[in-house]
Amino acid sequence: MHQIPQVAYRRSIVLMALCVLLVLIAVAAISLGSISIAPKRVFEVLFGMEPSGQIDFARDALVITQIRLPRLILGAAVGAALAASGAVMQGLFRNPLADPGLIGVSSGAGFAAAVAIVLGGRFLPDAATKLPFAFLPMAAFVGALMSTLILYVVASRGGRTSMAIMLLAGIAFAALAGAGTGWLAYISDDRQLRDLTFWSMGSLGGATWSKVAVVVPMVLPTLIAVPFLARGLNAMALGEAEAFHLGISVDRLKTGAILLVSIAVGAAVACSGLIGFVGIIVPHLLRLSVGANYRFLLPASALLGASLLVGADICARTIVAPSELPIGIITATFGAPFFIWLLLRRGPEFAV
Amino acid sequence: MKIVSLSALVTLLGVSLASLPAIGDPGKANESGSLHASQPQRIIAAGGVVTEIVYALRRADVLVGVDSTSTYPASALKEKANVGYVRALSSEGLLSLNPTSVIAIESAGPPDILKAVEDAGVQVSHLPDVATPAGISAKIKEVAKLVGEPVKGAALAAETDKQFAALSALRSKIEKPRRALFILSFMNGRAMVGGRDTSADGILTLAGLQNAASTLNGWKPISDEALFDAAPDIIIAMGHGPQDVTVNSILAVPAFAATPAAKSKSIFIFDGGYLLGFGPRTSSAARDLLLAAYPKLAGQDKRSDLQ
Amino acid sequence: MTELLAVHDLTYQLGNRKLLERISFAAEAGEVLAIVGPNGAGKSTLLRMLSGEEHPTEGSVSIGGQKLASIPQRQLASRRAVMLQNSRVVFPFTAFEVVRLGTEGIGVGLSRRDRDQLALSALANVDAEEFAERNFLTLSGGEQQRVSFARSLAQLAAGRTHISPQILLLDEPIASLDVRHQLALLEHARTLARSGNVLVIVVLHDLTLAHTFADRILVLRKGKLATIATRNEPLSRDLIEEIFEVSIAAEHCHGTPWRPLDSAHKAGALGENQMPRAVLSI
Repeated sequence: MHQIPQVAYRRSIVLMALCVLLVLIAVAAISLGSISIAPKRVFEVLFGMEPSGQIDFARDALVITQIRLPRLILGAAVGAALAASGAVMQGLFRNPLADPGLIGVSSGAGFAAAVAIVLGGRFLPDAATKLPFAFLPMAAFVGALMSTLILYVVASRGGRTSMAIMLLAGIAFAALAGAGTGWLAYISDDRQLRDLTFWSMGSLGGATWSKVAVVVPMVLPTLIAVPFLARGLNAMALGEAEAFHLGISVDRLKTGAILLVSIAVGAAVACSGLIGFVGIIVPHLLRLSVGANYRFLLPASALLGASLLVGADICARTIVAPSELPIGIITATFGAPFFIWLLLRRGPEFAV
Repeated sequence: MKIVSLSALVTLLGVSLASLPAIGDPGKANESGSLHASQPQRIIAAGGVVTEIVYALRRADVLVGVDSTSTYPASALKEKANVGYVRALSSEGLLSLNPTSVIAIESAGPPDILKAVEDAGVQVSHLPDVATPAGISAKIKEVAKLVGEPVKGAALAAETDKQFAALSALRSKIEKPRRALFILSFMNGRAMVGGRDTSADGILTLAGLQNAASTLNGWKPISDEALFDAAPDIIIAMGHGPQDVTVNSILAVPAFAATPAAKSKSIFIFDGGYLLGFGPRTSSAARDLLLAAYPKLAGQDKRSDLQ
Repeated sequence: MTELLAVHDLTYQLGNRKLLERISFAAEAGEVLAIVGPNGAGKSTLLRMLSGEEHPTEGSVSIGGQKLASIPQRQLASRRAVMLQNSRVVFPFTAFEVVRLGTEGIGVGLSRRDRDQLALSALANVDAEEFAERNFLTLSGGEQQRVSFARSLAQLAAGRTHISPQILLLDEPIASLDVRHQLALLEHARTLARSGNVLVIVVLHDLTLAHTFADRILVLRKGKLATIATRNEPLSRDLIEEIFEVSIAAEHCHGTPWRPLDSAHKAGALGENQMPRAVLSI
């Protein structure tokens, strides 16, 4: 009989390694921060053990359970959502440059966030002063979904959705949203402008259990649906017509994937701002090591995306402690050169 | 030449209020009436004006951290931990300084962060930020109370009020208000100016000047033609360092060279934090501005009597 | 008994243009059917109707007596495989993975290992085992075409566990292949048909190859079915001249019924009023 290639074996090793990496980074995220807490105490707090010392125990326990833990989970959820969604988008658009931004999520969320920041105070003084940071994510989330919906309607005709039209409409929409944001920036004061800048660079600061409780249920469906998307996205990589020939309901796949991605990324963007590059770099990195098969690529992307973002967040909150950096700066500063390095050392077999 | 760099003057006049930091020696601080004599206070100032007031009260010793907008006095950011931009604070970062309290200006945030810090047992005091003379003395009194110096605070507030009263008296002597244009930044010959509803508008009013850009709302770039219409008698530009805007760079732009201000050489470069901070130094800032704009009033200044 | 494939009065209109008009024919498993015609005659469009990608404006396509549009997609995917002209694969899949994708979700009762084996046999069938592990995107056009053919074969092999007989649709499958692989691919398709369980429909440009390998030739012209030629009634010289707008210098020779067209085609420079000349062996 013919010999079966051993790629599957290598892939399970990679998946396992990614799980271990996520666990290690999670442990680091719990243990590291501007407040130094001994590993022993971290252990005592996490597993409810008898404290060995009383000094600052209450504070440390609070920092671990109320600040670091929700932030870790939020970071992992956002990272997994961004990376897995990036992979899904690339498959759906059959384009290695695609990211969730193409379906209008970022531009819509960005514009809505600008509206919330600049106009929120004028038209909804109560909402803006009492809950500016609950109002903002809500607006961003709604903006993300609305813009996706608009693009979807523009690209769909007679039950079929043209990804090419969606891409073009997405570019036009992004320009429009950019112009809208520009108008708002024009009428904003410098504090609002500064808020907008910070928001657009992303941050996991202000993670609370209540935010976790909102974001995780929106991200989980995408991660759970991932195995069901894999076959369709694999077939899409052969071509849209080919996917149809292989029995894929292409339009149902598109609708489902777009819906899942817009909800997951909309929620992620809403609570953490625009964090770039994770959605593009993670799937590429993995394609170079485990190949293009979505069955592996999607879970691997989620795992690596989670690790990457949590890792970046550790940097963001320790480098300039007690202050902290916007996380988008970290992901791009380290991500982009690494990516270029990967491209430089590509082998003769490299083709995307 | 009326074109003067006022920074030396500013330092001189500011000295009485925004004094040099009183560094260290908590023992001495406690003697002088701290409310928490037994337990030293560890305060984080979130807001440049908070830092400025604490320094003016000579209680820099209680500060363990300041936010990145605390540019005055310049030593604040050098000797205290920087907790980042006032609107983008970090909960663990704040807690890592082991503060007993955080004094947060109205705009500080995000609120979630401040709430998390409060939940951790740190007292968080929210300070209303009103850009009026009354608002300034209220801020001074409140901050003074929080750092345990109510008496000093009341004195500083009273002093501030008195200066504003003197300023108001001086302002009443202005016969014909002049029109002033406030330039926030100057890039490629394009000026970002302060219109209505800006702190610039506030300081111009205090200095008895009419905002020449009152047709604009907020901080806006002004077009050459609007500049012609604005016809400012005086131009005030904000400067921070040597690489910033200079009088010559403003005069190099034809539209600016044609203004009455350029013709009478009434262009002044001020330190931005000084003019727009709305803290203890504001009365002197407004007074400096007023005297620069109306040099004839300099002789009738009663300020020396007040001191 | 109902035919495996029945096309009845098929018309396809796009805007005001009728791309296909009132086409009817039927075909059975075991047959090789070639579709020929000048550029723009509607060959690929017809193939898209047969694959179910597009639905006819009027008329119908039925498979096994069932209207194509009403066949569940999964069942249809087991029933017929399609190989398109150009591969448009994106992302660095290996050749093996591309073929393996042809089996995924197709057929019943197949284990992962079974599907792996189907993919490997299909690769072996097209002489492509040696580059099974190579990135598909780095293969030459001809190699890619062979892998794509293997993918259709693997799909049929997997689908056979679910439903039979089956249909294989090939759209100019040999455009990038060298002569040896052209003949090998068509020979393979014919063998598959001869097994009695597969109907092969292939769009071809080469009339000689069409006559060599096909049992019947559907000749399309401007969206209409001009004629159906068979082994016993090959295309007449006049008809070829009329449809393809060439003038043919026919010469008779024994053995293969047709000689490739292109030698004469390339030799004669085309004058203003001169028709291209082709040599056909009749």
